[in-house]
Amino acid sequence: MVKRKILIAEDDADDQQFFSDFLQLRTDVVLLPIVENGEELLKALNNLSCENDLPHYIILDQNMPRKNGLQTLQTLKDDERFSHIPVMIYSTFTDENLIQCGTESGACLVFPKPVSKEGYNKMLDALFATAG
Amino acid sequence: MRTEHPNKTNEELLAELEELRYQLHEATETIEAIRTGQVDALVVHGNNGHQVYTLKSADQTYRVFIEKMTEGAVTLNQEGLILYANSQFASMVGCSLSDVIGLPFQNFVAAENAPRYNQLFVQCWKEDCKGEVLLIAGKDKTPVQLSLTTLALEEGVSLSIILTDLTAQKRAQQQLHENNIKLEESNRALETSNHDLQQFASIASHDLQEPLRKITIFSNLLKERNEALSPEAKKYLEKIIESSSRMKTLIIDILNYSKLSANDYTFEQVDLNKIVTDIKEDFELLIAEKGATIRCGELPTLVANKGQIRQVFQNIVSNALKFTKPGINPVIAVKAKRIGEKSFAAAEQKDGTYILLCFKDNGIGFGQQYVQHIFSLFERLNSKDKYEGTGIGLAIAKKIVEKHNGLINAVSKEGEGSEFQIILPFTQNLV
Repeated sequence: MVKRKILIAEDDADDQQFFSDFLQLRTDVVLLPIVENGEELLKALNNLSCENDLPHYIILDQNMPRKNGLQTLQTLKDDERFSHIPVMIYSTFTDENLIQCGTESGACLVFPKPVSKEGYNKMLDALFATAG
Repeated sequence: MRTEHPNKTNEELLAELEELRYQLHEATETIEAIRTGQVDALVVHGNNGHQVYTLKSADQTYRVFIEKMTEGAVTLNQEGLILYANSQFASMVGCSLSDVIGLPFQNFVAAENAPRYNQLFVQCWKEDCKGEVLLIAGKDKTPVQLSLTTLALEEGVSLSIILTDLTAQKRAQQQLHENNIKLEESNRALETSNHDLQQFASIASHDLQEPLRKITIFSNLLKERNEALSPEAKKYLEKIIESSSRMKTLIIDILNYSKLSANDYTFEQVDLNKIVTDIKEDFELLIAEKGATIRCGELPTLVANKGQIRQVFQNIVSNALKFTKPGINPVIAVKAKRIGEKSFAAAEQKDGTYILLCFKDNGIGFGQQYVQHIFSLFERLNSKDKYEGTGIGLAIAKKIVEKHNGLINAVSKEGEGSEFQIILPFTQNLV
Protein backbone atom coordinates (compact mmCIF):
# COMPACT_ATOMS: atom_id res chain seq x y z
CA MET A 1 0.00 0.00 0.00
CA VAL A 2 1.30 3.43 -0.93
CA LYS A 3 1.40 5.65 2.11
CA ARG A 4 -0.30 9.00 1.68
CA LYS A 5 2.02 11.95 2.15
CA ILE A 6 0.44 14.81 4.05
CA LEU A 7 1.86 18.34 4.27
CA ILE A 8 0.33 20.65 6.84
CA ALA A 9 0.79 24.39 7.40
CA GLU A 10 0.10 25.25 11.03
CA ASP A 11 1.57 28.13 13.04
CA ASP A 12 0.35 27.11 16.51
CA ALA A 13 2.90 25.01 18.38
CA ASP A 14 0.26 23.13 20.40
CA ASP A 15 -1.71 22.29 17.28
CA GLN A 16 1.48 21.10 15.55
CA GLN A 17 2.05 18.85 18.54
CA PHE A 18 -1.52 17.50 18.53
CA PHE A 19 -1.32 16.79 14.83
CA SER A 20 1.87 14.74 15.00
CA ASP A 21 1.06 13.10 18.36
CA PHE A 22 -2.39 11.94 17.35
CA LEU A 23 -1.59 10.85 13.81
CA GLN A 24 1.98 9.56 13.80
CA LEU A 25 0.97 6.01 14.66
CA ARG A 26 -1.23 5.70 11.60
CA THR A 27 0.28 3.26 9.19
CA ASP A 28 -1.41 4.62 6.10
CA VAL A 29 0.12 8.12 6.19
CA VAL A 30 3.46 9.84 6.10
CA LEU A 31 3.51 13.20 7.87
CA LEU A 32 5.89 15.57 6.08
CA PRO A 33 7.71 18.12 8.25
CA ILE A 34 5.19 20.69 9.41
CA VAL A 35 5.53 24.21 7.96
CA GLU A 36 4.71 27.40 9.89
CA ASN A 37 2.50 29.23 7.41
CA GLY A 38 1.37 29.57 3.80
CA GLU A 39 4.54 31.24 2.61
CA GLU A 40 6.69 28.50 4.12
CA LEU A 41 4.47 25.90 2.51
CA LEU A 42 4.88 27.40 -0.96
CA LYS A 43 8.62 27.69 -0.41
CA ALA A 44 8.79 24.01 0.61
CA LEU A 45 6.81 22.96 -2.48
CA ASN A 46 8.99 25.06 -4.79
CA ASN A 47 12.14 23.53 -3.35
CA LEU A 48 11.10 19.97 -4.15
CA SER A 49 13.47 18.43 -6.68
CA CYS A 50 11.08 16.04 -8.38
CA GLU A 51 7.36 15.61 -8.87
CA ASN A 52 7.38 12.33 -6.96
CA ASP A 53 8.18 14.23 -3.76
CA LEU A 54 4.92 16.25 -3.92
CA PRO A 55 2.48 15.62 -1.04
CA HIS A 56 -0.72 13.72 -1.80
CA TYR A 57 -2.73 16.00 0.49
CA ILE A 58 -2.31 19.50 1.85
CA ILE A 59 -3.91 20.74 5.08
CA LEU A 60 -4.00 24.48 5.73
CA ASP A 61 -4.81 26.21 8.98
CA GLN A 62 -7.03 29.18 8.19
CA ASN A 63 -5.57 31.65 10.68
CA MET A 64 -1.89 31.98 10.02
CA PRO A 65 0.40 34.99 9.86
CA ARG A 66 1.67 36.30 6.49
CA LYS A 67 -0.45 34.09 4.28
CA ASN A 68 -3.63 32.56 5.66
CA GLY A 69 -5.34 29.37 4.56
CA LEU A 70 -7.64 30.84 1.90
CA GLN A 71 -4.87 32.96 0.37
CA THR A 72 -2.54 29.99 0.20
CA LEU A 73 -5.30 27.89 -1.33
CA GLN A 74 -5.75 30.49 -4.09
CA THR A 75 -2.04 30.44 -4.94
CA LEU A 76 -1.97 26.64 -5.02
CA LYS A 77 -5.01 26.42 -7.30
CA ASP A 78 -3.53 29.03 -9.65
CA ASP A 79 -0.32 27.06 -10.06
CA GLU A 80 -0.62 24.18 -12.50
CA ARG A 81 2.15 22.24 -10.76
CA PHE A 82 0.08 22.06 -7.56
CA SER A 83 -3.53 22.62 -8.58
CA HIS A 84 -4.28 18.87 -8.69
CA ILE A 85 -3.37 18.31 -5.00
CA PRO A 86 -6.44 18.02 -2.76
CA VAL A 87 -6.41 20.80 -0.14
CA MET A 88 -8.32 20.87 3.15
CA ILE A 89 -8.74 23.99 5.27
CA TYR A 90 -9.20 23.55 8.97
CA SER A 91 -9.93 26.12 11.64
CA THR A 92 -11.13 26.47 15.23
CA PHE A 93 -14.21 28.20 13.99
CA THR A 94 -15.68 27.11 10.67
CA ASP A 95 -18.67 29.36 9.96
CA GLU A 96 -20.76 29.29 6.81
CA ASN A 97 -18.68 32.07 5.36
CA LEU A 98 -15.43 30.13 5.60
CA ILE A 99 -17.07 26.97 4.28
CA GLN A 100 -18.46 28.88 1.28
CA CYS A 101 -15.24 30.78 0.50
CA GLY A 102 -13.13 27.66 0.93
CA THR A 103 -15.33 25.52 -1.29
CA GLU A 104 -15.53 28.20 -3.97
CA SER A 105 -11.76 28.54 -3.98
CA GLY A 106 -11.35 24.83 -4.58
CA ALA A 107 -10.86 23.31 -1.11
CA CYS A 108 -12.08 19.72 -1.06
CA LEU A 109 -13.06 20.06 2.60
CA VAL A 110 -13.41 22.73 5.31
CA PHE A 111 -13.20 21.13 8.75
CA PRO A 112 -13.37 22.30 12.37
CA LYS A 113 -10.24 21.61 14.40
CA PRO A 114 -10.81 18.41 16.42
CA VAL A 115 -10.48 18.22 20.20
CA SER A 116 -9.34 14.59 20.61
CA LYS A 117 -7.22 11.90 19.04
CA GLU A 118 -10.37 10.27 17.77
CA GLY A 119 -11.41 13.59 16.22
CA TYR A 120 -8.10 13.97 14.39
CA ASN A 121 -8.38 10.50 12.96
CA LYS A 122 -11.94 11.13 11.83
CA MET A 123 -10.78 14.33 10.17
CA LEU A 124 -8.18 12.47 8.12
CA ASP A 125 -10.71 9.77 7.19
CA ALA A 126 -13.10 12.47 6.04
CA LEU A 127 -10.37 14.07 3.94
CA PHE A 128 -9.51 10.76 2.28
CA ALA A 129 -13.19 9.98 1.71
CA THR A 130 -13.82 13.35 0.03
CA ALA A 131 -10.64 13.59 -2.00
CA GLY A 132 -10.34 9.88 -2.86
CA MET B 1 -63.70 142.77 9.20
CA ARG B 2 -63.02 139.84 11.36
CA THR B 3 -61.16 137.04 9.79
CA GLU B 4 -62.76 133.84 10.79
CA HIS B 5 -60.01 131.83 12.32
CA PRO B 6 -57.87 133.90 14.54
CA ASN B 7 -60.79 135.51 16.21
CA LYS B 8 -62.75 132.45 17.12
CA THR B 9 -63.29 132.17 20.75
CA ASN B 10 -61.85 129.39 22.69
CA GLU B 11 -65.28 127.90 23.21
CA GLU B 12 -65.97 127.96 19.49
CA LEU B 13 -62.71 126.18 18.75
CA LEU B 14 -63.41 123.54 21.33
CA ALA B 15 -66.87 122.99 19.90
CA GLU B 16 -65.41 122.68 16.41
CA LEU B 17 -62.86 120.18 17.67
CA GLU B 18 -65.60 118.20 19.34
CA GLU B 19 -67.59 118.22 16.09
CA LEU B 20 -64.57 117.00 14.09
CA ARG B 21 -63.93 114.31 16.64
CA TYR B 22 -67.52 113.22 16.34
CA GLN B 23 -67.27 113.10 12.54
CA LEU B 24 -64.08 111.11 12.74
CA HIS B 25 -65.66 108.71 15.15
CA GLU B 26 -68.68 108.33 12.86
CA ALA B 27 -66.47 107.75 9.84
CA THR B 28 -64.45 105.12 11.69
CA GLU B 29 -67.64 103.45 12.80
CA THR B 30 -68.97 103.47 9.26
CA ILE B 31 -65.77 101.98 7.91
CA GLU B 32 -65.82 99.36 10.65
CA ALA B 33 -69.45 98.60 9.87
CA ILE B 34 -68.61 98.14 6.21
CA ARG B 35 -65.64 95.97 7.03
CA THR B 36 -67.53 93.77 9.39
CA GLY B 37 -70.40 93.46 6.97
CA GLN B 38 -73.05 95.27 9.00
CA VAL B 39 -73.67 97.74 6.21
CA ASP B 40 -74.13 97.15 2.47
CA ALA B 41 -75.13 100.66 1.48
CA LEU B 42 -74.90 104.08 3.00
CA VAL B 43 -76.39 107.52 2.55
CA VAL B 44 -73.96 110.40 2.40
CA HIS B 45 -74.99 113.97 2.84
CA GLY B 46 -73.20 115.83 0.03
CA ASN B 47 -73.37 119.11 -1.75
CA ASN B 48 -76.18 117.85 -3.96
CA GLY B 49 -78.27 116.52 -1.19
CA HIS B 50 -78.34 112.95 -0.01
CA GLN B 51 -76.69 110.33 -2.13
CA VAL B 52 -76.94 106.57 -1.77
CA TYR B 53 -73.72 104.58 -2.16
CA THR B 54 -74.03 100.84 -2.49
CA LEU B 55 -70.89 98.87 -1.84
CA LYS B 56 -69.27 97.40 -4.91
CA SER B 57 -68.33 94.14 -3.29
CA ALA B 58 -71.72 94.09 -1.78
CA ASP B 59 -71.69 90.42 -1.01
CA GLN B 60 -71.70 90.73 2.74
CA THR B 61 -70.49 87.21 3.41
CA TYR B 62 -67.42 87.59 1.27
CA ARG B 63 -66.57 90.98 2.66
CA VAL B 64 -66.61 89.58 6.20
CA PHE B 65 -64.71 86.55 5.05
CA ILE B 66 -61.97 88.60 3.47
CA GLU B 67 -61.76 90.89 6.47
CA LYS B 68 -61.59 88.08 8.97
CA MET B 69 -59.34 85.67 7.12
CA THR B 70 -55.81 85.19 8.32
CA GLU B 71 -54.40 85.80 4.85
CA GLY B 72 -53.62 89.30 3.71
CA ALA B 73 -55.81 90.55 0.84
CA VAL B 74 -55.26 93.56 -1.37
CA THR B 75 -56.84 94.89 -4.55
CA LEU B 76 -54.61 96.79 -6.97
CA ASN B 77 -55.41 98.88 -9.98
CA GLN B 78 -53.63 98.38 -13.27
CA GLU B 79 -50.86 100.74 -12.16
CA GLY B 80 -50.20 98.56 -9.15
CA LEU B 81 -51.59 101.00 -6.58
CA ILE B 82 -53.42 99.58 -3.58
CA LEU B 83 -57.15 100.32 -3.79
CA TYR B 84 -58.20 98.09 -0.96
CA ALA B 85 -56.46 96.14 1.78
CA ASN B 86 -57.79 94.06 4.64
CA SER B 87 -56.57 94.64 8.18
CA GLN B 88 -54.50 91.46 8.09
CA PHE B 89 -52.44 92.96 5.27
CA ALA B 90 -51.94 96.17 7.24
CA SER B 91 -50.76 94.20 10.23
CA MET B 92 -48.48 92.09 8.04
CA VAL B 93 -46.66 95.17 6.81
CA GLY B 94 -46.86 96.86 10.18
CA CYS B 95 -48.77 99.96 8.96
CA SER B 96 -52.19 101.38 9.63
CA LEU B 97 -54.81 100.68 6.99
CA SER B 98 -55.10 104.31 5.94
CA ASP B 99 -51.33 104.42 5.32
CA VAL B 100 -51.30 101.60 2.82
CA ILE B 101 -54.23 102.64 0.63
CA GLY B 102 -53.01 104.42 -2.48
CA LEU B 103 -49.42 103.24 -2.23
CA PRO B 104 -47.80 101.09 -4.93
CA PHE B 105 -47.85 97.49 -3.75
CA GLN B 106 -44.26 97.16 -4.87
CA ASN B 107 -43.21 99.42 -1.98
CA PHE B 108 -43.86 96.48 0.31
CA VAL B 109 -41.88 93.96 -1.71
CA ALA B 110 -38.22 93.50 -0.75
CA ALA B 111 -35.85 95.00 -3.32
CA GLU B 112 -34.23 91.66 -4.14
CA ASN B 113 -37.64 90.27 -5.11
CA ALA B 114 -38.67 93.23 -7.29
CA PRO B 115 -37.88 91.41 -10.56
CA ARG B 116 -39.89 88.40 -9.44
CA TYR B 117 -42.82 90.61 -8.44
CA ASN B 118 -42.69 92.52 -11.71
CA GLN B 119 -42.73 89.28 -13.61
CA LEU B 120 -45.80 88.14 -11.66
CA PHE B 121 -47.45 91.51 -12.15
CA VAL B 122 -47.08 91.15 -15.93
CA GLN B 123 -48.12 87.52 -16.03
CA CYS B 124 -51.17 87.90 -13.81
CA TRP B 125 -53.20 89.86 -16.33
CA LYS B 126 -53.08 86.88 -18.66
CA GLU B 127 -53.53 84.09 -16.17
CA ASP B 128 -53.72 83.49 -12.43
CA CYS B 129 -50.31 82.96 -10.96
CA LYS B 130 -48.46 82.41 -7.71
CA GLY B 131 -45.03 83.23 -6.40
CA GLU B 132 -43.01 83.63 -3.24
CA VAL B 133 -41.51 86.98 -2.24
CA LEU B 134 -40.26 88.66 0.91
CA LEU B 135 -42.67 91.25 2.26
CA ILE B 136 -41.23 94.28 4.03
CA ALA B 137 -42.71 94.46 7.51
CA GLY B 138 -41.04 97.38 9.27
CA LYS B 139 -37.44 96.29 9.75
CA ASP B 140 -38.18 92.64 9.13
CA LYS B 141 -38.93 90.71 6.00
CA THR B 142 -41.65 88.10 5.98
CA PRO B 143 -41.74 85.30 3.42
CA VAL B 144 -45.16 85.28 1.76
CA GLN B 145 -46.82 83.53 -1.09
CA LEU B 146 -48.67 85.82 -3.48
CA SER B 147 -51.70 84.43 -5.30
CA LEU B 148 -52.63 86.84 -8.04
CA THR B 149 -55.96 86.83 -9.83
CA THR B 150 -57.76 89.52 -11.81
CA LEU B 151 -61.21 90.81 -10.97
CA ALA B 152 -63.53 92.48 -13.46
CA LEU B 153 -65.09 95.55 -11.82
CA GLU B 154 -67.34 98.18 -13.38
CA GLU B 155 -64.45 100.62 -13.67
CA GLY B 156 -62.32 98.05 -15.39
CA VAL B 157 -60.14 95.14 -14.48
CA SER B 158 -58.32 95.18 -11.16
CA LEU B 159 -55.94 92.76 -9.53
CA SER B 160 -56.57 90.87 -6.34
CA ILE B 161 -53.68 89.45 -4.38
CA ILE B 162 -53.94 87.06 -1.46
CA LEU B 163 -50.84 86.97 0.74
CA THR B 164 -50.12 83.84 2.74
CA ASP B 165 -47.56 84.18 5.51
CA LEU B 166 -44.99 81.41 5.02
CA THR B 167 -42.98 82.11 8.18
CA ALA B 168 -44.36 79.16 10.12
CA GLN B 169 -44.09 76.92 7.08
CA LYS B 170 -40.52 77.97 6.40
CA ARG B 171 -39.65 77.46 10.04
CA ALA B 172 -41.23 74.02 9.99
CA GLN B 173 -39.36 73.19 6.79
CA GLN B 174 -36.12 74.36 8.33
CA GLN B 175 -36.86 72.37 11.48
CA LEU B 176 -37.68 69.31 9.40
CA HIS B 177 -34.48 69.73 7.44
CA GLU B 178 -32.42 70.04 10.63
CA ASN B 179 -34.17 67.06 12.17
CA ASN B 180 -33.51 65.02 9.05
CA ILE B 181 -29.84 65.84 9.21
CA LYS B 182 -29.73 64.87 12.89
CA LEU B 183 -31.59 61.68 12.12
CA GLU B 184 -29.16 60.80 9.36
CA GLU B 185 -26.26 61.42 11.69
CA SER B 186 -27.63 59.24 14.46
CA ASN B 187 -28.52 56.60 11.88
CA ARG B 188 -24.95 56.55 10.67
CA ALA B 189 -23.67 56.39 14.24
CA LEU B 190 -26.04 53.54 14.94
CA GLU B 191 -24.94 51.63 11.87
CA THR B 192 -21.31 52.08 12.81
CA SER B 193 -21.84 50.91 16.36
CA ASN B 194 -23.94 48.01 15.16
CA HIS B 195 -21.18 47.02 12.78
CA ASP B 196 -18.56 47.39 15.52
CA LEU B 197 -20.64 45.28 17.82
CA GLN B 198 -20.92 42.50 15.25
CA GLN B 199 -17.23 42.68 14.55
CA PHE B 200 -16.62 42.44 18.26
CA ALA B 201 -18.95 39.49 18.70
CA SER B 202 -17.39 37.72 15.75
CA ILE B 203 -13.79 38.28 16.80
CA ALA B 204 -14.51 37.61 20.45
CA SER B 205 -16.29 34.39 19.62
CA HIS B 206 -13.54 33.25 17.34
CA ASP B 207 -10.67 34.14 19.60
CA LEU B 208 -12.45 32.81 22.68
CA GLN B 209 -12.88 29.45 21.05
CA GLU B 210 -9.18 28.85 20.46
CA PRO B 211 -8.08 28.75 24.11
CA LEU B 212 -11.27 26.91 24.98
CA ARG B 213 -10.43 24.17 22.53
CA LYS B 214 -6.97 23.85 24.04
CA ILE B 215 -8.49 23.50 27.52
CA THR B 216 -10.67 20.67 26.23
CA ILE B 217 -7.84 18.89 24.45
CA PHE B 218 -5.38 19.10 27.30
CA SER B 219 -8.02 17.99 29.79
CA ASN B 220 -8.81 15.02 27.58
CA LEU B 221 -5.10 14.19 27.32
CA LEU B 222 -4.63 14.50 31.05
CA LYS B 223 -7.53 12.18 31.68
CA GLU B 224 -6.57 9.58 29.07
CA ARG B 225 -2.87 9.42 29.64
CA ASN B 226 -2.85 9.26 33.44
CA GLU B 227 -4.35 6.03 34.58
CA ALA B 228 -3.03 6.75 38.05
CA LEU B 229 -5.25 9.80 38.56
CA SER B 230 -7.43 9.62 41.67
CA PRO B 231 -11.17 9.30 41.07
CA GLU B 232 -11.55 12.81 42.48
CA ALA B 233 -9.04 14.26 40.02
CA LYS B 234 -10.83 12.51 37.17
CA LYS B 235 -14.13 13.99 38.34
CA TYR B 236 -12.64 17.48 38.32
CA LEU B 237 -11.32 16.90 34.82
CA GLU B 238 -14.77 15.83 33.72
CA LYS B 239 -16.12 19.09 35.16
CA ILE B 240 -13.53 21.11 33.25
CA ILE B 241 -14.42 19.34 30.00
CA GLU B 242 -18.16 19.82 30.59
CA SER B 243 -17.73 23.50 31.39
CA SER B 244 -15.61 24.01 28.29
CA SER B 245 -18.24 22.34 26.19
CA ARG B 246 -20.96 24.55 27.71
CA MET B 247 -18.90 27.63 27.08
CA LYS B 248 -18.40 26.64 23.47
CA THR B 249 -22.16 26.33 22.99
CA LEU B 250 -22.60 29.70 24.66
CA ILE B 251 -20.10 31.41 22.39
CA ILE B 252 -21.66 29.95 19.26
CA ASP B 253 -25.14 30.98 20.43
CA ILE B 254 -24.00 34.55 21.16
CA LEU B 255 -22.42 34.71 17.75
CA ASN B 256 -25.61 33.49 16.10
CA TYR B 257 -27.64 36.00 18.08
CA SER B 258 -25.40 38.90 17.11
CA LYS B 259 -25.50 37.83 13.46
CA LEU B 260 -29.27 38.35 13.51
CA SER B 261 -28.67 42.08 13.80
CA ALA B 262 -27.03 42.09 10.41
CA ASN B 263 -29.31 43.14 7.59
CA ASP B 264 -29.99 39.75 6.16
CA TYR B 265 -33.22 40.05 4.25
CA THR B 266 -33.08 37.06 1.97
CA PHE B 267 -36.63 35.81 1.85
CA GLU B 268 -37.95 32.89 -0.12
CA GLN B 269 -40.95 30.56 -0.24
CA VAL B 270 -40.61 28.26 2.75
CA ASP B 271 -42.66 25.10 3.17
CA LEU B 272 -43.11 24.76 6.93
CA ASN B 273 -43.99 21.04 6.59
CA LYS B 274 -40.53 20.47 5.15
CA ILE B 275 -38.97 22.39 8.04
CA VAL B 276 -40.73 20.13 10.56
CA THR B 277 -39.59 17.03 8.68
CA ASP B 278 -36.00 18.29 8.71
CA ILE B 279 -36.16 19.02 12.41
CA LYS B 280 -37.52 15.58 13.19
CA GLU B 281 -34.45 14.22 11.45
CA ASP B 282 -32.12 16.56 13.35
CA PHE B 283 -33.57 15.43 16.66
CA GLU B 284 -33.95 11.79 15.65
CA LEU B 285 -31.66 10.47 18.39
CA LEU B 286 -33.12 12.63 21.14
CA ILE B 287 -36.68 11.81 20.05
CA ALA B 288 -35.89 8.09 20.18
CA GLU B 289 -34.13 8.43 23.51
CA LYS B 290 -37.01 10.29 25.13
CA GLY B 291 -39.74 8.29 23.38
CA ALA B 292 -41.12 11.58 22.09
CA THR B 293 -43.84 12.11 19.48
CA ILE B 294 -44.11 15.14 17.22
CA ARG B 295 -47.61 15.50 15.75
CA CYS B 296 -47.86 17.97 12.95
CA GLY B 297 -50.98 19.23 11.21
CA GLU B 298 -50.94 20.58 7.64
CA LEU B 299 -48.72 23.68 7.63
CA PRO B 300 -48.65 26.39 4.97
CA THR B 301 -45.87 27.70 2.74
CA LEU B 302 -44.93 31.30 3.40
CA VAL B 303 -42.31 33.89 2.50
CA ALA B 304 -39.50 33.90 5.06
CA ASN B 305 -35.81 33.49 5.66
CA LYS B 306 -35.54 29.72 5.58
CA GLY B 307 -32.50 29.29 7.81
CA GLN B 308 -33.90 31.63 10.43
CA ILE B 309 -37.38 30.09 10.54
CA ARG B 310 -35.79 26.69 10.83
CA GLN B 311 -33.82 28.03 13.78
CA VAL B 312 -37.05 29.20 15.47
CA PHE B 313 -38.69 25.78 15.04
CA GLN B 314 -35.52 24.10 16.20
CA ASN B 315 -35.23 26.17 19.38
CA ILE B 316 -38.86 25.67 20.34
CA VAL B 317 -38.84 21.93 19.64
CA SER B 318 -35.50 21.61 21.41
CA ASN B 319 -37.01 23.28 24.50
CA ALA B 320 -40.02 21.00 24.38
CA LEU B 321 -37.72 17.96 24.26
CA LYS B 322 -35.57 19.39 27.04
CA PHE B 323 -38.10 20.48 29.66
CA THR B 324 -39.94 17.20 29.93
CA LYS B 325 -41.58 15.55 32.92
CA PRO B 326 -39.67 12.53 34.13
CA GLY B 327 -41.41 9.29 33.23
CA ILE B 328 -43.79 10.82 30.71
CA ASN B 329 -43.30 10.48 26.98
CA PRO B 330 -43.08 13.97 25.48
CA VAL B 331 -45.75 14.88 22.93
CA ILE B 332 -45.36 17.97 20.81
CA ALA B 333 -48.28 19.10 18.66
CA VAL B 334 -47.72 21.62 15.88
CA LYS B 335 -50.75 23.34 14.35
CA ALA B 336 -51.39 26.29 12.09
CA LYS B 337 -54.35 28.47 11.16
CA ARG B 338 -54.82 31.55 9.00
CA ILE B 339 -55.91 34.73 10.72
CA GLY B 340 -56.88 38.16 9.44
CA GLU B 341 -54.90 40.34 11.81
CA LYS B 342 -51.71 40.36 13.83
CA SER B 343 -53.28 39.43 17.14
CA PHE B 344 -53.28 36.30 19.25
CA ALA B 345 -56.98 36.88 19.84
CA ALA B 346 -57.79 36.95 16.10
CA ALA B 347 -60.35 34.47 14.83
CA GLU B 348 -59.59 32.02 12.01
CA GLN B 349 -60.05 33.54 8.56
CA LYS B 350 -59.67 31.41 5.42
CA ASP B 351 -57.99 34.11 3.33
CA GLY B 352 -56.21 35.87 6.24
CA THR B 353 -52.81 37.41 5.61
CA TYR B 354 -51.24 36.03 8.78
CA ILE B 355 -50.49 32.56 10.05
CA LEU B 356 -50.79 31.57 13.68
CA LEU B 357 -48.52 28.67 14.60
CA CYS B 358 -48.92 26.73 17.86
CA PHE B 359 -46.40 24.39 19.45
CA LYS B 360 -48.00 22.60 22.36
CA ASP B 361 -46.07 20.27 24.67
CA ASN B 362 -46.77 18.23 27.79
CA GLY B 363 -43.58 19.22 29.61
CA ILE B 364 -42.94 20.88 32.95
CA GLY B 365 -44.31 24.24 31.81
CA PHE B 366 -43.69 27.48 33.70
CA GLY B 367 -45.63 30.10 35.62
CA GLN B 368 -47.33 32.57 33.28
CA GLN B 369 -45.68 35.44 35.21
CA TYR B 370 -42.36 34.43 33.63
CA VAL B 371 -43.56 34.72 30.05
CA GLN B 372 -41.65 37.94 29.33
CA HIS B 373 -38.51 36.59 31.03
CA ILE B 374 -38.20 33.52 28.88
CA PHE B 375 -37.69 35.56 25.71
CA SER B 376 -34.89 37.67 27.20
CA LEU B 377 -31.24 36.95 26.67
CA PHE B 378 -29.65 34.65 29.27
CA GLU B 379 -32.85 34.20 31.25
CA ARG B 380 -33.23 30.76 32.71
CA LEU B 381 -36.07 29.50 34.84
CA ASN B 382 -34.45 26.18 35.69
CA SER B 383 -31.04 25.38 37.06
CA LYS B 384 -28.62 24.15 34.45
CA ASP B 385 -27.86 21.10 36.57
CA LYS B 386 -31.31 19.79 35.78
CA TYR B 387 -31.82 21.25 32.33
CA GLU B 388 -28.83 22.34 30.27
CA GLY B 389 -28.94 25.30 27.97
CA THR B 390 -27.57 28.77 27.44
CA GLY B 391 -30.72 30.83 27.84
CA ILE B 392 -30.34 32.26 24.34
CA GLY B 393 -32.59 29.98 22.30
CA LEU B 394 -35.89 31.76 22.86
CA ALA B 395 -34.26 35.20 22.62
CA ILE B 396 -33.06 34.18 19.16
CA ALA B 397 -36.53 32.88 18.28
CA LYS B 398 -38.12 36.16 19.35
CA LYS B 399 -35.61 38.24 17.43
CA ILE B 400 -36.15 36.21 14.26
CA VAL B 401 -39.94 36.37 14.53
CA GLU B 402 -39.76 40.14 15.03
CA LYS B 403 -37.46 40.50 12.03
CA HIS B 404 -40.24 38.81 10.07
CA ASN B 405 -42.75 41.39 11.39
CA GLY B 406 -44.36 38.72 13.52
CA LEU B 407 -45.19 38.11 17.18
CA ILE B 408 -44.25 35.38 19.62
CA ASN B 409 -45.98 34.45 22.85
CA ALA B 410 -46.13 31.59 25.31
CA VAL B 411 -49.00 30.31 27.41
CA SER B 412 -48.22 27.96 30.25
CA LYS B 413 -48.93 26.84 33.79
CA GLU B 414 -46.35 25.40 36.13
CA GLY B 415 -46.37 21.62 35.63
CA GLU B 416 -48.97 21.63 32.87
CA GLY B 417 -47.04 21.90 29.65
CA SER B 418 -46.60 25.00 27.56
CA GLU B 419 -47.84 26.36 24.28
CA PHE B 420 -45.72 28.61 22.10
CA GLN B 421 -47.62 30.78 19.66
CA ILE B 422 -46.10 32.53 16.69
CA ILE B 423 -47.77 34.91 14.26
CA LEU B 424 -46.07 35.41 10.92
CA PRO B 425 -47.22 37.35 7.86
CA PHE B 426 -47.59 35.30 4.70
CA THR B 427 -45.48 37.73 2.73
CA GLN B 428 -42.67 40.09 3.57
CA ASN B 429 -42.64 43.67 2.35
CA LEU B 430 -39.15 44.24 1.09
CA VAL B 431 -37.99 47.77 1.77
